[in-house]
Amino acid sequence: MLWVDKYRPKTLDKVTVHDQVAQNLKKLVAEQDCPHLLFYGPSGSGKKTLVMALIKQMFGAGAEKVKMENKTWKIDTGSRNIEIELAMLSSAHHVEMNPSDAGFQDRYVVQEVIKEMAKNRPIDAKGKRAFKVLVLNEVDKLSREAQHSLRRTMEKYSASCRLILCCNSSSKVTEAVRSRCLNVRVNAPSEDQIVQVLEFIGKKENLQLPFGFACRIAAQSNRNLRRAILFFETCKVQQYPFTSNQVAPPLDWEQYVSEIAADIMKEQSPKRLFAVRQKFYELLVNCIPPESILKKLLAELLKKLDSDLKHEICHWAAHYEHKMRLGSKAIFHLEAFVAKFMSIYKEFLVSTFG
Amino acid sequence: MGKRPPVVFLSSSSDEDEGGGRRAATGGPSARRARTPATAPAPAHAASGSRKKPRRANSAERGRRRATGPAPSGSLKAEFDMLSEDFSECLNDLGMPGSICQTKELWVDKYKPRSSAELSVHKKKVEDVKKWLDEKLKAPKGTFGGWTLVLTGQAGVGKSATIKAIAAELGVEICEWTAPVPTLWTEHLHANSGLRYISKMEEFENFVEKIRKYSLLSPTNIGSQRKLTIILIDDIPVTSGKVSFARLGKCLTGLIQSTQVPTVISLTQYHKSENNDTAMWNSEDLESLLQSAGAHKIAFNPVTVNSIKKILVRICKQEGSDLTEELVHQIATSSGGDIRHAIMSLQYYCLNPRRLNSALARTAILPGLKSGGTLVPGQDSYGCSSVMPTACGRDETLKLFHALGKFLHNKRETYGEVDVAVDVDLFPMKEKLRRNPLKMDIPEKVLSQAHGKVRTVADFLHENVLDFIDNDAIDDAWSVASYLSEADCLLAGSPISSARWMVNESYEAENMTQLIAASVAARGVLFGNAHVSSSRWHTIRSPRVWQIEQSFRSRKGLILGERYDCSSTSGSRNFSDVVTEFKPFERWVNPHNDMPTSNSFNHNIEASSSEEDDEIEDW
Repeated sequence: MLWVDKYRPKTLDKVTVHDQVAQNLKKLVAEQDCPHLLFYGPSGSGKKTLVMALIKQMFGAGAEKVKMENKTWKIDTGSRNIEIELAMLSSAHHVEMNPSDAGFQDRYVVQEVIKEMAKNRPIDAKGKRAFKVLVLNEVDKLSREAQHSLRRTMEKYSASCRLILCCNSSSKVTEAVRSRCLNVRVNAPSEDQIVQVLEFIGKKENLQLPFGFACRIAAQSNRNLRRAILFFETCKVQQYPFTSNQVAPPLDWEQYVSEIAADIMKEQSPKRLFAVRQKFYELLVNCIPPESILKKLLAELLKKLDSDLKHEICHWAAHYEHKMRLGSKAIFHLEAFVAKFMSIYKEFLVSTFG
Repeated sequence: MGKRPPVVFLSSSSDEDEGGGRRAATGGPSARRARTPATAPAPAHAASGSRKKPRRANSAERGRRRATGPAPSGSLKAEFDMLSEDFSECLNDLGMPGSICQTKELWVDKYKPRSSAELSVHKKKVEDVKKWLDEKLKAPKGTFGGWTLVLTGQAGVGKSATIKAIAAELGVEICEWTAPVPTLWTEHLHANSGLRYISKMEEFENFVEKIRKYSLLSPTNIGSQRKLTIILIDDIPVTSGKVSFARLGKCLTGLIQSTQVPTVISLTQYHKSENNDTAMWNSEDLESLLQSAGAHKIAFNPVTVNSIKKILVRICKQEGSDLTEELVHQIATSSGGDIRHAIMSLQYYCLNPRRLNSALARTAILPGLKSGGTLVPGQDSYGCSSVMPTACGRDETLKLFHALGKFLHNKRETYGEVDVAVDVDLFPMKEKLRRNPLKMDIPEKVLSQAHGKVRTVADFLHENVLDFIDNDAIDDAWSVASYLSEADCLLAGSPISSARWMVNESYEAENMTQLIAASVAARGVLFGNAHVSSSRWHTIRSPRVWQIEQSFRSRKGLILGERYDCSSTSGSRNFSDVVTEFKPFERWVNPHNDMPTSNSFNHNIEASSSEEDDEIEDW
């Protein structure tokens, strides 16, 4: 078992990083009622951990007995029948799924699963907690149609189920959905907090941490706790006892992106653009999300860039990230961004150095 | 399964029907002219007072009347009558221009070749077919195989006509498969009337089965009254997809191997560009399949312009209409070797000679048949495709690759300084936005001729355009890329959709955006590429995106499948987290079972890129 899972706090009381949030959540559920919830925050900040702990708080140990099933949804859309296969984790009290895995058919899934949950509503002897919890991950990746259908079903079936939504950016969730939920912001943990967690794990694993080692990993992790723990474990696998100047190896795709950035800085020509395109393809075929590629690429480019240009480059990166969301083929937009960068940078070079 | 005489009378002059049809078509005022050729015209005194002349007037009279005929005091009604009469004239005259012919028949049927001498097909080919048929008819029964002849050629070169003419000469009966009116699948769904749905495919299979089983066409008694027969299969069911194609293939192969009667299968070859829709069955596949099953093949070439002209002139003479040499030539050349089409156009032109002149005035010289569009720059096929469409020509089609080549090579007029100056005055533009006029039709037209799907066109342009941009002009590369990015957004349709491929549920509405997207992509490429790299040979690659997307999907499926295995206790992980964090981590932790670290990207790609070159040919 990975340390990430092993040392995940199982109850709200044990949550260390966001203890304030955890205490508030505990109070919220203590009053027997629970509104729909929307957890948002950067990746690796502990949203899922909070959600799992919260569910355990609500239903007790029963919520931990989950089973995984690959369910096939048969949906009649009037004109044709479609079948969608989607994996979901479920216990007697909750269901967890990633509807955005269904791609453009996500809206059918959202409606259907909620309807079905409403149909076989659990009946408690005491008439208490007669609702199920549906955890939807990556709500921001849902299509707009899906989010709209989510909004309707949310109201219609609010008696029988509670939704817990998780997403990175609440700005990509429609206003209507957001206003129907209690929004819980989960901050990225500070580096100090990460260091604390790492030291805690080190102690449990009986490891000797050299001075400054945890700090370095925390800095490298970019305030992403999950990444920090993964780095930590990688270091452990690679070399233990730790040496004082040991660093975790960079993620391979990130390294690849920085190679691309170096390529771009070196030469600005259609031929180079073509070469860059091939490298993008290699990333995309490995399922690296294009948004992450663009973000990382921008960060890498900004490192080496004259500060006069930074503003403009950021503008274009944002522009093409938006386009990417509107369009369907990410490579078109990634490439357009690179072309624009090359064009700007070349002009800059010519005007500065003649 | 009917036998039918070789000559088909499409319109058997049942006057009531015709009259009814005409009345419906022309409407009120002109309905009074529902005349039959036999009876004298009995024009009723109808609303329009101005036109009471008998309708038997010949064309000269008609022309004069039109010149002098008084339009009564500008009344709109009269004008309308005139128009509608014009229109109905057109309809009525179809089949009886002049006063010679009394039967209402299409010329195509009327002048169907009765003997092999009349055929416009090349003598040699006719001879071949005849020899083959002769041989087979005389050959002893009881041998298997070798009884099938496949005729190929594009539409309207006289494949069936040849067989029919020869059959008539040899005194053989032709047995054809007449496809029944097909029940459409959707119709069947809606009607729900207990009718059993029989696809055309099944009908065809039944037919073939019957031929084989009952061998009714090869009677055993060798008496003198024995009637010789040929089976003509002219109407091969359309198949889509591999499965039904295989079915058809099996069925036909069985037929070829077991038949003991001369069987002629006529296959229409489609223009490559017309069936780049993958749903269409591929005539070439079928052809090779039939040949491998042991069928003898004779390919018909398009009818030459001269022989079309000869036929047209002959028809003109018999019809007594005097068309100019020039026009006959034009009809012949524009028909593209399709004799049926040529005769149709001729008949249309003979309807109302007045119209000829105006049409002729608008025409330019039409190109002959196109040679296959290769992408060699500077080939003459570029020049000749920018031709005005004429009223009688077949629409030109371009191969997709040809169209792409046009966009990518971006040929423009190169003017001297003087001409540019003139242009500037009309519509001043910034220097950097100015482009020389294109050496081709407007992009939208080229696109519509190429029949490409928009997505395909955009992908191809995206894949190849960088090769055509001058290596210094990175600005151009950006403007091209930005237009393509816009086109992609348009194609994706609805804002914020996580769709990785398109879903067209509201097909009609999307269609417009599709057209616009195509136009944006094509024009963007043309406009953006201001500094075309010197023209040299470029191969057009098929888009890598397609492979990439395919492998992306399969990989995503794999990863999604694995995801739950490792995390059954602690909730599921998000896909993006798995990919960006857990996967690389796993690669570090246990490098042996997964691909080794930094090379992992390269492997997948190279494995799949080796076949690429071949694919272009097939595509």
